[in-house]
Amino acid sequence: MITITHFLVVGAWLFSIGLYAVLARRNAILVLVGIELMINAAILNLVAFGRYDSSLYGGQAFALFAIVLAAAAVAVALAIILNVYKHHKTVNPEDISDLKD
Amino acid sequence: MPVPTLTYPLLATLAAVLMPFLAFLLTAATGKKARNGAVSIAAISISLLAAAYVFAHVWGKDPIHVQWHWFSIGRQAFHVGLLVNNASALMLLLVCLVALPVHVYSTAYMKGDPGIHRYWAYLSLFCFAMLGLAVAGNLLLMYICWELVGFASYLLIGFWFTRDAAIQANKKAFIINRIGDLGFLLGIAILYSGFGTLDIQVLFGTDTPAVSGTGNLTPGWFTAAGLAFFLGAMAKSAQFPLHVWLPDAMEGPTSVSSLIHAATMVAAGVFLLARVFPLFDGTVLFVIAVTGTVTAFAAACFALTQYDIKKILAFSTISQLGFMMAGIGFGMYHVALFHLTTHAFFKCLLFLCAGAVIHEMQHVKQKLGHDFDPQDIRNMGGLRKHMPITCATMSIAALALVGFPLTGGYLSKDALLVHGFEWAATQHGMALAVPCALAVASMLTGFYSFRLLAKVFFAQPAAGPLTGSHATLHDAPLPMRIPMLFLAACSLFPLFTFHPLNDGHVWLLRGLAPDATLPPLRLLHFAIPILATIASVIIATVTWRWYVLGKYPLKPQGALYRLSLHQGYLDALYMRAIIPPLMRLSAVLFWLDRHVVDGFVNGLAAGGRALASAAAWADYRVVDGLVRMTGKLALGLGNALRRSQTGRVQHYLALAFFLMVVMLLYFIFARA
Repeated sequence: MITITHFLVVGAWLFSIGLYAVLARRNAILVLVGIELMINAAILNLVAFGRYDSSLYGGQAFALFAIVLAAAAVAVALAIILNVYKHHKTVNPEDISDLKD
Repeated sequence: MPVPTLTYPLLATLAAVLMPFLAFLLTAATGKKARNGAVSIAAISISLLAAAYVFAHVWGKDPIHVQWHWFSIGRQAFHVGLLVNNASALMLLLVCLVALPVHVYSTAYMKGDPGIHRYWAYLSLFCFAMLGLAVAGNLLLMYICWELVGFASYLLIGFWFTRDAAIQANKKAFIINRIGDLGFLLGIAILYSGFGTLDIQVLFGTDTPAVSGTGNLTPGWFTAAGLAFFLGAMAKSAQFPLHVWLPDAMEGPTSVSSLIHAATMVAAGVFLLARVFPLFDGTVLFVIAVTGTVTAFAAACFALTQYDIKKILAFSTISQLGFMMAGIGFGMYHVALFHLTTHAFFKCLLFLCAGAVIHEMQHVKQKLGHDFDPQDIRNMGGLRKHMPITCATMSIAALALVGFPLTGGYLSKDALLVHGFEWAATQHGMALAVPCALAVASMLTGFYSFRLLAKVFFAQPAAGPLTGSHATLHDAPLPMRIPMLFLAACSLFPLFTFHPLNDGHVWLLRGLAPDATLPPLRLLHFAIPILATIASVIIATVTWRWYVLGKYPLKPQGALYRLSLHQGYLDALYMRAIIPPLMRLSAVLFWLDRHVVDGFVNGLAAGGRALASAAAWADYRVVDGLVRMTGKLALGLGNALRRSQTGRVQHYLALAFFLMVVMLLYFIFARA
C-alpha cells in the first residue's frame, strides 16, 4: 500500500536534487531545471496532501495553478538567462558577480 | 595744571638746551660725513646767544619756573619742568661760554681723526645733558640729565676705544659715577617719601622751602638725605676717596678733558649741592667741609710729583673741586659757585694750552720718529720761545689757579679761604684745622702750578727729543689760539669786578648770596689775600730756583715722594682691598644664581616637561587609542562582512537556504 509517507519521501528527494542543482551547477539552464524540480516537489506534496480534502480538491486545484505559474516563471527565467548571456557572454553563475559591492 | 604760557625767556631756555640735542641727532643721522662739526658749533653758538638772553632776563629778577604734566603713577602726578634762577642762569651761560671755545678749538685739535663724526655727536650730547641739568626744575629730570652727563662722559673718555687704557678709564669713571648715582637716587627717594614732590622750587626754592618744615621725616632722615646727595656729588665732582676716576679720565681727547674739567661734569656735583643747599643740616655741612678739605689737600699733594701734564691738571681740578665743596660746607655756596665760575675759565684754558703743547709734541714725535710720551713734562722745556702765545695764556691761567692778584682765581679762592676762617670761628675745637689745611693746599697749588710752567716753558730742555728739533715747533693754529685768548681774557678780573683786589664788589657773589652769612672778620679780608700773595711769590721764587736754575735739592726716592707719585696708593688699595672681595662676592652670587636659582627654575621646567610627556603619552595611548580602536573595529568588521558579499547568486541562495533551515529548526525545537 502506498502511504502519504512515500509521497513525502519522493518529494523530499526531488527537492534535494533540485536544491543541489540550484546551488552547485555551473550552468544557468540547469539551475533553472533545479528550480523546476523543487517546484515539482512542492506540487507533489500539494497533490499528496490534497487527498485529505476530498470535498473541494483544493490541493489539486493549487497544483494546477502552480504548474501554470511554473511554466510562466520558466519563460521569464529563460528570457533573463538569454539577456544575461547577451551581456556577459556566459551562463556560468560563478563568473557573474555584479552584485558584489 | 594749566599749560604754561610760552614767554620769550622760556623759549630761549628751551632753545639753549635743545639746540645741542638737535645737533647731536643731526650729526648722528649724518654719520661719517659730519666731519667739520659745523652743526655742533652752530648749535652751541645759538645756545650761547639764547643763554645770554635768558641770563639778562633772569639775573637778579624772578626765576622762570614752569612745569608740564609728565605722567602719573596712581594719584601721584610727575611733572617735567624748568627752573631758571640765578644759579641756573649762571650755569647755563657758563656752560655755553666754555663749550663754544672748546668746540672751536676741537676743529683744529681733532682734525683728521678718523672718528671725528662721533666726536661731534658725543660733544653735543654732552652739552645737551649738562645744559639740561642746569635748568631742570625737577629732581627726577635732573637725575636723568645727571645720568646722561655720566653716559656722555663715558663715551667721550673712551673716545679712542681701540686703546685699552681708554676703555679701562671710561669703565672706571662710569662705575664710580654709578656709586654716586645711587646716592643721588636715594636722596630723591627720601625727599619724595617725605614731601611727596620732586619740584626743586617747592622743595628748596621759595623763601619758605618745603625742607624747612619736617614733612614726614625725622631729623635723622634729613641727615641721611643730605649725605646721600653728597655721595652723588662726591662721585661726580671727584671728591676723595671717589676721585680716582678723574686722573684716568685723561685718556680722552684733551679738548674733552677741558670740557669735563671746566664747567661740565665735575661742576655738576657742586651745582647739585648748591641747588639742594637748604636741605643740609649742620652734620652734613661739616662732613662736606671736611671731605672737601681732605680732597683739596690730598689732590694737591698728589699733583706735586706727577710727570704727565694732564695728570697734574687733573689733580689740580680735584683739588679745586675740594675747595668748592669746602665752600659749600661752610654754607657759602655762592662763593663755591663763584669759584666754580672762575675755575671753569682758567681750568678750561689750562687744558687747552696743555692740548696745544701736546699737539706740538705729537708733531715732533711723528716727525722725528722718536718713541717718547708727548705728555711727559720731563721731555719738555724751553717752549716759551717757540710757543709764546701758549706760554702767555697758560701763565695767565696758572696765575689764576694759584690765586694771583688781578685774576679771577684771586677773588674766588681768597674769598673761600676768608670764609673758611670765618666759619672756623663759629665752630669750635679742631675746626680751625680745616681752613689751615685749605691754606696749605692753596700753597701747594702754587708749587705744582709753577713747577708745571717752569718745566714746560722756562727750564732748559732736558736731554731728550726737543734738543736740536726746535725748528719744527711753532704756536698752535688759529682755531686753537682764538679760544685760548678768549678764555685768558675771561680768566682776568674785569669779567667779575672792577675792583681787582676786593671780592666785596663782585656782581656774581651779590646775585647769589644766601640770606644767612657768616659773621665777617674784617681783619681777615685784608690779611689773607696779602699773606697768600706773599706766599705765592715766595713759592714762585723757590720753584724758579729749583726747576729753571736747576738747583733741585730733593731726592726722588723719599717715602713721601713715592706716596705722592703713586697718588697715595689709593688705586692699589682699591685693587687689593675692595675689588677682590667684590669679585669673590659676585663669583659666589654667580654660583648661587647658576646653581640655586637656575637649578630651581630648571627643576620646575623639568617637572613640567615630565608632566607634559606623561599627559602626551596618555593622550596618545589612551584617548587616541580608544578612538582608533573604534575605527579599527568598524574597519575589521566591515572587511570581515564584506567577504560574504561575493556577488554570486548561488552563494546568496545557499545562505538563504541555510538561514531558513536554521529558522525551521528553531521553530520546531523551540516549540517542542
